[in-house]
Amino acid sequence: MARRWYGADWWFVTISAVMVLGFIIVAMFPGLFAPHSPDDLVGPRFLAPGAHPDLPALILPSDSPDNELIDLAVPSDQPRPIVAVVQGVPTSGALNEQAQVIDNQIKNEPGGLRLRPRIERYATLEEALQAVVNGKATAAVVQSLEFEAISAQFPTLREGASITGERSTAGGFFLGTNDIGQDVLSRLLWGTRIALIIGFSSSLVALFLGVPLGLFAGFVGGSLDRSLSLVMDSLYAFPGLILAIAITAVLGPSMLNIIVAIAVLYIPTYYRIVRGQTLSVKEEVYVEAAKSIGARNLEILQKYIFPNVIPSVAIIFSVNVADAILTGAGLSFLGLGLPPTIADWGIDLARGQRFIQTAWWMITFPGLAIMLVVLAFSMMGEGLTEIFNPKLRER
Amino acid sequence: MTPITLIALLIGVPAFLLLTYVFIHGSAGLRHYILTRVGLTLPMVFILATLVFFVMRVLPGDPVSSALGPKGTPEMLARIRTQLGLNDPLIVQYSRFLGDMVTLHFGNSLMGGHRPIVDEMSERFPATLELVIPASIFALVIGIWGGTLAASRRKRATDYALRIYSVIIYSLPIFWLGLMLQLLFGVQLNILPISGRIDPVIGTTIKHITNLYAVDALITGNWPAFGSVAQHLVLPTITLGLILSGVFVRMTRINVIETLQADYIAAARARGIREHVLVFGHALKNAMIPVITLIGLQVAILLAGAVLTETVFSWPGMGSYLVERISSRDYTAVQSVITVFALLVALISLAVDVVYSLVDPRVRY
Amino acid sequence: MKSQKWFLLTSFLIMASMILGACGQVTPTAAPTTAPVQTEAPVATEAPTEAPTEAPAGTPADTIIIGTTDKIASFDPADAYSARDWELIKNINEGLLKWKPGTSDELMPALAAGMPEISADGLTYTFTLRDGIKFGDGTDLTAQIYADSINRLLTVGPTCPNGVADALATPYLASVEAPDSKTIVFTLKAPVAYFLQILASATYTPANPNNFPADKCELFPAAPIYGTGPWFISQYTQGEQIVLEPNPYYTGTLPAQVKRIIVRDFADPQTEALAIQNGEIDIAWRFLGPELFAQLQSVAGITASTINGGSIRYLILNHTKAPADDPNVVKAIASAVDRNEIADTVFGGQVNPIYSMVPPGFLGASESFDTMYASPNLDKAKEYLAASGYTEANPLQLEMWYPPEHYGAATAAWMQVIQKQMEATGAIKVTLQSQEWSTYVAALTGGEAYAVGVLGWFYDYPDPSNYLDPFVYNGGLGTNVSLAKEGTDYGEPINDKAQQLLDLMTQADIETDLTKRADLYKQVQDIYADLVVTVPLFLNPEYMVFRDNIHGSDHYATPETLNIAGTIEFNYSTLTKTP
Repeated sequence: MARRWYGADWWFVTISAVMVLGFIIVAMFPGLFAPHSPDDLVGPRFLAPGAHPDLPALILPSDSPDNELIDLAVPSDQPRPIVAVVQGVPTSGALNEQAQVIDNQIKNEPGGLRLRPRIERYATLEEALQAVVNGKATAAVVQSLEFEAISAQFPTLREGASITGERSTAGGFFLGTNDIGQDVLSRLLWGTRIALIIGFSSSLVALFLGVPLGLFAGFVGGSLDRSLSLVMDSLYAFPGLILAIAITAVLGPSMLNIIVAIAVLYIPTYYRIVRGQTLSVKEEVYVEAAKSIGARNLEILQKYIFPNVIPSVAIIFSVNVADAILTGAGLSFLGLGLPPTIADWGIDLARGQRFIQTAWWMITFPGLAIMLVVLAFSMMGEGLTEIFNPKLRER
Repeated sequence: MTPITLIALLIGVPAFLLLTYVFIHGSAGLRHYILTRVGLTLPMVFILATLVFFVMRVLPGDPVSSALGPKGTPEMLARIRTQLGLNDPLIVQYSRFLGDMVTLHFGNSLMGGHRPIVDEMSERFPATLELVIPASIFALVIGIWGGTLAASRRKRATDYALRIYSVIIYSLPIFWLGLMLQLLFGVQLNILPISGRIDPVIGTTIKHITNLYAVDALITGNWPAFGSVAQHLVLPTITLGLILSGVFVRMTRINVIETLQADYIAAARARGIREHVLVFGHALKNAMIPVITLIGLQVAILLAGAVLTETVFSWPGMGSYLVERISSRDYTAVQSVITVFALLVALISLAVDVVYSLVDPRVRY
Repeated sequence: MKSQKWFLLTSFLIMASMILGACGQVTPTAAPTTAPVQTEAPVATEAPTEAPTEAPAGTPADTIIIGTTDKIASFDPADAYSARDWELIKNINEGLLKWKPGTSDELMPALAAGMPEISADGLTYTFTLRDGIKFGDGTDLTAQIYADSINRLLTVGPTCPNGVADALATPYLASVEAPDSKTIVFTLKAPVAYFLQILASATYTPANPNNFPADKCELFPAAPIYGTGPWFISQYTQGEQIVLEPNPYYTGTLPAQVKRIIVRDFADPQTEALAIQNGEIDIAWRFLGPELFAQLQSVAGITASTINGGSIRYLILNHTKAPADDPNVVKAIASAVDRNEIADTVFGGQVNPIYSMVPPGFLGASESFDTMYASPNLDKAKEYLAASGYTEANPLQLEMWYPPEHYGAATAAWMQVIQKQMEATGAIKVTLQSQEWSTYVAALTGGEAYAVGVLGWFYDYPDPSNYLDPFVYNGGLGTNVSLAKEGTDYGEPINDKAQQLLDLMTQADIETDLTKRADLYKQVQDIYADLVVTVPLFLNPEYMVFRDNIHGSDHYATPETLNIAGTIEFNYSTLTKTP
């Protein structure tokens, strides 16, 4: 077996092992890599990858002494400043948030200044700006690039500071934002954790149930073996996804239930392979010899059969993790898996499908992520198969 | 004459004749094997159907409250549930269910128009067939050809390229591949339709004979319809077929490699027979036997893949039907679909095993 | 060897078909009505070869094709209970009264010769039928036929599968009679202020005895289906299309203006959107989501407009379940919610917030939630929370439940926005919980499971009572403001304010003077807001997209005014088409 380690198969296994390690690290510490929190509505909707978000800016009359939002604060006995915004653009949210933050800072300071702007919504940008010109509003908060495009029409207005300052471009939106303004990249990285948890957990559960069953059935044989094999065969032959759909439909959408559903699917795989191996090893001469010198069954299982089973199990494990991640993503895509607000690749893909015409990045990147993770594990399994499978050895 | 009945008769009758032939001419062992398998299949399907029955009723929520939503007053809900027989004791419902299954009657949908499930399946099942058959052919062609090629050029560039292809394809989530194809061909290039089986305007001209639109269009000479169906088939077929081909490439490759290591191949090579003839003529034929068995077992993967493909392309087949009906708790529909799937899988695997035994003289039952 | 190969192939094929055979051995059940194949293939357009910016015209000049993804569940007026069914029935049939097209508050006589005579005690309504009304197949409409139809509603209706149409008849009607061939007399069990509105609904249209048997429900009768309205159904294929042609015997005020209307079913909204872009259909109506709508707005040759129907979204609070049983908590929620931010963030500004359960345009509608809470008002919200001891150090743990699919895939998105708004107070910690629709609605309407949930509502008849009664009376759909009391219709109110609410509502239900009634409902809405029975959020918009050569549908395309006529009262007769 030693000589098999030199050659192209070795590359297969090494590259994939490195990739797997990388994914595991990202899954364990997504906060280190992700620029934003996956759930926060941090940016404008539908921002394309690499595009710069149009920041909301304060628009003031040219002769106004104010420049930043905090300058609009007035003593609490005076009328509140009126700020015009455009309907349909989420600047009012940012405005409210910022005003809150500033207000909390200044309300306890002497001087009695408060910042509680009254927001007036206008149907179009022109109307909102016109309100400032007419004096109906103290200022307007609009997207700065949009303002710059028509600033010639409003010579008496000027652009002040941005409402949010540098904050919203911190981290940037490397892969764009989704339909409500969450960062795609951050959701991607946090999704790694979910995918790997599902993949590993379900495969481990299947392993810990399937392997002992297979050993037992193969070793003991008899009617127990036959009935168990019947159940396992029918489970194996049944379309996996459909079984998983049925199970999650019963149990309800949650992480634990997906893991259970997928684990059930893979138990037969471990069972069959392990049982087959046990059967063949059982017939070997050295096992017979061991029996003749009085070795007990448990010893035989432990010392002879189990070690022979390990390589196959390792291969199946890596392939299973790959498949489990795919099935988990499939279930989430169909809406039968996790709750729809969790940062999961399958869910993001389902969401992206609705916006396929407008935001191609919403489906491209999560899918790519799934593919790479699954590829890593499959390659590992594939490489290990080549190495360990005796039937494929060169003569 | 419903479409399903027509298809069933057209192929069921010769199938029955063939089975009789196998019975008469096959060995006693084979007959015993067939009987055993059939004897085992039926209880398995029965147990599965029973399981589904009870599980669906254990689920919280029911079709009536799901349909009426907040508008359903408790009196209304109670009345409709009684009407639909959902308030009957479980045993009564169960025996009704058994009766339905045995007569293959399947009952009525609990949703909306309460259509007979058979009618709904008559529309949905051919849709899935129409997707799955071309996809399988596509996958088989690529898979067998590619796998054999890789096996014959082992350890060289072609082999690695094809192995990488197979692994990458296998790792692609099928729904993502579908979405990407939709994006590229449907949205960016705009040359292929991205949902449905047929253009809705042309679709009204189709005569529903078998409900396989392509076949119906051919039979009636309806060329615009045939063209439209073909167009709509392209992307879903590629999606499902490509994913399957990854699996087939791998399987074929492994089997052909093993076959190529047999002594008779070495002997033939020594006699000077060309490599090409060796691989595609001799090795492939013998490697085909286990490949076909394995392909038969891939029906499970096919059905699972079909569910996702149908969802992405809004293809009105059995897979999307199942997913829809689970959400609305349409018990009868879900029971029927899962039973049909189980039956399908069991029968196909039986068929494949029988064929395998007839073809490979080494197999003795 | 060769024969073995063939054998293999054929046997494989045949084995596969055996399975189909097994599935196929069924006793033939009644197949749904199939329409004869159209004799002339409609003008087929070429498959789109480039991104359609200029949509080519493709439908015949005398036919208007409407595309929809909404499915018909029933043609029988005694059974039908969905907006789609009602829309269709209202086009092939008229009742005694109907809404003046384009209005939501003006009733006019249709089959009746004039408005009814109402007895002094409000229990008897007497109508006189107009002369010369015939069904589309030539059958005369007599008072007896009409009365029989309503009696059919009372007797057969409850046995029908969707069978909830009797919710509009059985609770109200004591009897209906036809003393002579032109007079119809309704006797009510108790006076009710909105009986006329109910009479204008699809349920009270006469069922043609030749199509609908007197003794059982007929959900899908064989075509042609005739009524007394401007159209009749000449043929239909379930799941595909319905073809309407003008009723030759129609004598009403809304005659058909084109030779044919085809309503075509689509499996999904994307195909429908593509079809309207390519000119395969003339009007796209329900259910395009906000995303497709936004896309279609920029396509030339078609107009995309929003119609505010009577469909609303709201938060439903269970007043007997913590923490929604605390008046401070519910007031805090009402103060913290920012409807405009939801509109902007999730819908691009394309939904209208509502400040009362009664949508604007209905009788007596007020903006009580805005008057009382002026949300978002985070200071006030914090005050309320502090009054119950919830602060940043000790935040309120709130679970908010929602069904992720049933109200559109955007639900998850706007629930996240609401979560953000609640947490902006600093004293609430929200956990969003989603639950699949079947389970969700069963739990919610059972009144047990969730303290805070989300629901939608749509009217049965356009009256404010239909938006208030279900949430207050008798356990009120899980709000539990008045707990269900065995054997009564009203339940037991949980406090004095709730009692006051109930009293006012009972009064309003029978008050016939419109001004007084409107005033009563204003008071009702004020108390409703004070109690925060539910938190109204926004109007769920309906989207209609039509090609520029279609006219007459302008009535239903003014977003500024509520035109509920658009959703149930879509009169195909007002549509015309220029070449």
